Amino acid sequence: MSYAYLFKYIIIGDTGVGKSCLLLQFTDKRFQPIHDLTIGVEFGARMITIQNKQIKLQIWDTAGQETFRSITRSYYRGAAGALLVYDITRRETFNHLTTWLEDARQHSNSSMVIMLIGNKCDLESRREVRREEGEAFAREHGLIFMETSAKTAANVEEAFINTAQEIYDKIQEGVFDINNEANGIKIGPQLSPSSQKSSSGNPALGTGGGCC
Amino acid sequence: METSNDHYYPISQCLSHSESNVSNSFQLSNNNRSCNKYGFFLDNDCDDQDHDTPSVQDLKAIRIKERKWLQMLNNWRYYINFKWDKIRDRCRKGIPHSLRSQAWFHLCGAHLQRNRFPNLYGELLKKGIPSDVRDDICKDLHRQFPNHEMFADPSGVGQTDLYNVLKAFAAYRPNIGYCQAQAPIAAVFLMHMPAERAFWCLVALSKYYISGYFMHNLEDIRIHGQMLFAFLKKFTPSAYSLLNRQNIEPEIYMIEWFMCIYSRNLPWPSVLRVWDMFLCEGMPLTTLFTLFTRFYYIDSKTCQKLRNISKSSLTEDSLIRGIKRFELRDIDLLKEHGIQMKKLQKSKKQLK
Repeated sequence: MSYAYLFKYIIIGDTGVGKSCLLLQFTDKRFQPIHDLTIGVEFGARMITIQNKQIKLQIWDTAGQETFRSITRSYYRGAAGALLVYDITRRETFNHLTTWLEDARQHSNSSMVIMLIGNKCDLESRREVRREEGEAFAREHGLIFMETSAKTAANVEEAFINTAQEIYDKIQEGVFDINNEANGIKIGPQLSPSSQKSSSGNPALGTGGGCC
Repeated sequence: METSNDHYYPISQCLSHSESNVSNSFQLSNNNRSCNKYGFFLDNDCDDQDHDTPSVQDLKAIRIKERKWLQMLNNWRYYINFKWDKIRDRCRKGIPHSLRSQAWFHLCGAHLQRNRFPNLYGELLKKGIPSDVRDDICKDLHRQFPNHEMFADPSGVGQTDLYNVLKAFAAYRPNIGYCQAQAPIAAVFLMHMPAERAFWCLVALSKYYISGYFMHNLEDIRIHGQMLFAFLKKFTPSAYSLLNRQNIEPEIYMIEWFMCIYSRNLPWPSVLRVWDMFLCEGMPLTTLFTLFTRFYYIDSKTCQKLRNISKSSLTEDSLIRGIKRFELRDIDLLKEHGIQMKKLQKSKKQLK
């Protein structure tokens, strides 16, 4: 399917916060409680619509463990959006946000949109991080914030789509240089003057639907 | 740093903050599920090969193989010193399943270490490890081969042993600690042998085969990725140029393959055959195998296909045939390693 823009996302955050589950819920609309842990990086992709424009999201889901940080870093550069995820039932995953954010800011392009996500909000009884704390952290660091549940799908669509909306707005404002693919944005065949060329220019952009 | 010295059956503690509700229901439903001969639940990912019923001839062949392997294992020192080629050839043909446990234990030299330090494993279990390392291990226990009956039950032997092996390793090599890629490797060993032996196999692997994979910012694995790319260029230029044109870096697909030694990326009978050979021949084999898969599946063009290669097309026989097509000598590997090391050092200097 043709698209107007392609946005690259990266999902980051401590191990076990639900990064892969969020991705699976967004791309496949299902929750898999029991699954293999992520080693290296995984991919996902989905088409969304923003202001009547087809936008393809290409999402890189990374391993959360410290050891893999050097790999994760190389993906920041080419990303237009980042979902920074913590687990509302584990305080330490919230405490590590500053480190993640520093890492992201240092290795990404300055206009990258970062969405802070407090995941597992279905587990209210085990909550350790209050919603207000997440909001305050986001305000302080200029991030968008949402609490989600990959299990019940609450706010999952919104998290991915609101990030895209923000990126889209920035494009309209001229903040993003869309001609530089290193910013994580690619003009798709719908908009591109030389549609033939652009459709074969990128790794994971198979022509068919489904995941890249 | 805070340490914990719990040992033997810590799983209940681990579960208190993980998915205990999910696990309990999962455990109940597991009792009625059926498995294939490798222990994987049949409703998930079952491989066609598993339904093969062996003929009388097959069984005879297996018995002959078993006899040969028993004879080798009984005279291991002689074979390893003077008849290594024989061992290699027999590993390439596949180790009979009944003797795989023993053979793997010997191939990687774990038996020597175990004999030298017969009490160490028990002592390590009593030792404390940093609490953050312990938490990291606990978080991953239910995420290793969840479709295997041994690891499906959170309070079962599989997850308990897995915890003990990983914990013992972290206590044994505190400078390495726990890296998530150790878990699937330990799990594969545990499917074949008792925890203590699995521990020594993991130690041998991280010492002799993939030393450096679990530490130093994954530098070693990145070098291997670049080596892989260089060999790809040499052996299958068309595949190389396709990947290069589309900016697909080796790191995108090879990290999981290499770090977990393909245990999560192939049909199970093929995993076992690859491990038979890998434990005998080490790194060159891994590279050869990758070249083979690249060669055949590179033109699928998309990342998704590159990573989720159709399992039916990776059956044992086609796999082994493919590997034999490439001859890569140790000297070539060493040379390429040197080249990539130099490149890395150069780029580091430039960064400074």
